[in-house]
Amino acid sequence: MAVVQLENVTKRFGNFVAVLDASFSLERGGILSLLGPSGCGKTTTLRMIAGFEEPSEGKVLISGQDVSGKRPYERNVGLLFQDYALFPHMSVQQNVAYGLKRRGKEREYIDSRCREMLELVKLDGFEDRRPAQLSGGQQQRVALARALATSPEVVLLDEPLSALDAKLRQELRIELKQILAAVDATTIIVTHDQEEAMSLGDTLIVMNEGRIVQEGNPTEIYRNPKTKFVAEFIGRSNWFSGFLGQADSSDLCEFKSTQGSKFWVPAPEGVNHQGVSYEVCVRPERILATSVEEAQSTSNSVNVFKGTVLNVAHLGADIHLVVELSTGERITVSEQFVGQRLEQTGEQVQIEFRPADCIVVPSGT
Amino acid sequence: MLHRQIDNLGLWVVVLAIGVTVVFLIAPIAVSILMSFDARSYLGRFPPTEFSFQWYARFFSDTYYLTGLQTSLILAVVAATVSTVAGVSAAVVLDRYEFPGKQALETIFLSPLVIPAVVIGFAMLLFFALMGIFQGFPRLLAGHIIITFPYTVRTTLAGLTGIRKNLTEAAMTLGATERQAFWDVTFPLARTGMVAGAVFAFAFSMDDVAVSLFLTSPETYTLPVAMVSMMRTNFDLTIAAASVVLMLFTIGLILVLDWIVGLERVIGGGVYRS
Repeated sequence: MAVVQLENVTKRFGNFVAVLDASFSLERGGILSLLGPSGCGKTTTLRMIAGFEEPSEGKVLISGQDVSGKRPYERNVGLLFQDYALFPHMSVQQNVAYGLKRRGKEREYIDSRCREMLELVKLDGFEDRRPAQLSGGQQQRVALARALATSPEVVLLDEPLSALDAKLRQELRIELKQILAAVDATTIIVTHDQEEAMSLGDTLIVMNEGRIVQEGNPTEIYRNPKTKFVAEFIGRSNWFSGFLGQADSSDLCEFKSTQGSKFWVPAPEGVNHQGVSYEVCVRPERILATSVEEAQSTSNSVNVFKGTVLNVAHLGADIHLVVELSTGERITVSEQFVGQRLEQTGEQVQIEFRPADCIVVPSGT
Repeated sequence: MLHRQIDNLGLWVVVLAIGVTVVFLIAPIAVSILMSFDARSYLGRFPPTEFSFQWYARFFSDTYYLTGLQTSLILAVVAATVSTVAGVSAAVVLDRYEFPGKQALETIFLSPLVIPAVVIGFAMLLFFALMGIFQGFPRLLAGHIIITFPYTVRTTLAGLTGIRKNLTEAAMTLGATERQAFWDVTFPLARTGMVAGAVFAFAFSMDDVAVSLFLTSPETYTLPVAMVSMMRTNFDLTIAAASVVLMLFTIGLILVLDWIVGLERVIGGGVYRS
């Protein structure tokens, strides 16, 4: 049975629609990432599940029960705040014990549960510290221990790692996933960070302007974004806009960009795509750039272009090239640095990518 | 070079200004403290040549002063208590809830700070006369609550605004009702602001002359009012002794509160505001 279920939930603040007709469900032990830019309604969704906001329309169900009208303390939901919201006047122990105390647990149970939780987040021995005496990463772990101590039916994480610096973020991401798995927590993560969303969640929901625009497995969404917004929000992309031609026998279509380049793309489903404006996205890492002298003749099943290198940026493990095609369109190519000779600015290069790596979405999405 | 000299000069001007201010703050008080121990029976030149407790003995044997002191203490305690409770409640409402007219209400609550005390005193005298209330204590109490209320509202608000709303929300997701969250989280964190307000309220109530002058009755008057009237009729150094006593009561209260709640630690401490 679904632990959390939203049925056609809409939330309005006056005339502003924060969330529009959102429905999804999350099974026990699942981790769901709600991803979107700020103001897309993901935090409002989270607050409706926690009980700080009531839906204007639709229902929120927790373990099959409609929770409308129930105050946050009448639900068993754990919430990890972006800035942790630890009680500054209480010790680590008192922070973790607070929920258990408020839920009327016995002393011995509270003590053993606190010990268990602090061991889980590897902070045993820090019981008597005050939050101000802990580092950001430690504070976050206390907050997590506090949220998990009451064994909530669902744990909500609000931008869990965004307050930490990049290096610590990566370490904690792995640890966070292990901890959540260890207690088999049903989890919803709200984030604007695609790496966080993809690496933590086994399901991904992308939101924009209050609507759910796509839901699915992270890899699937990265490979097959349904709209331009999703493709742009998740990962980097090169865009061409133009029109599709007739499909050939192998389900490929010729695409003509408005700037004049022509290449093969997979034919979108449905028939009436001729004359309709489409946009095509190619991920920078799916494009190969070779200098013209080294370029070998390639098979016809690959899209090939000639271009001039405008800029080379060596970022460490990655190299980013900006290449201008003869049509004037600019393409970013990313390749891994494995010790090869770097292309030079102004050098003539051959660009190639497979039709299957082209993502075709209708214009205006 | 010139720039550095100008900088140095500026520094000396600032040091001098601070020095002068300190002298002007401390000197008159020091003089009156010293004079209150003067052994001469008349008002002699400063400094006193011999010391005694004669003015204190006179103060504590004069029922006129003692009645004033008693009224002042009772009044200050009651007024500070009432105004702290009212001020804290008002500040909590102002801090937590959004409602139309909130700004206006806040301005009204703080308005006694900018209205001259004499105006408040006179206005209240007229008001009470119209209401038919002529007893001294209720009039004084009402007046003192009004002049101390802005301080308790202000300091509590300052304490509350440092506390982020999500602390309350965190407590609520952990099973606390709004009321429990207030007592477990908001109250302990805002406590220093509330105590600071209570201290200000007590000190201002003990000290007030302007409002009290209008609201005293022949039987009920405060120590400062008694001092003013004595100064007009028979001026002697008992007044100096009375000032020191008044000062000691106020300082004593601040020290006791500081000892109980660690006023300074909390006002200055980042830990409590995180």
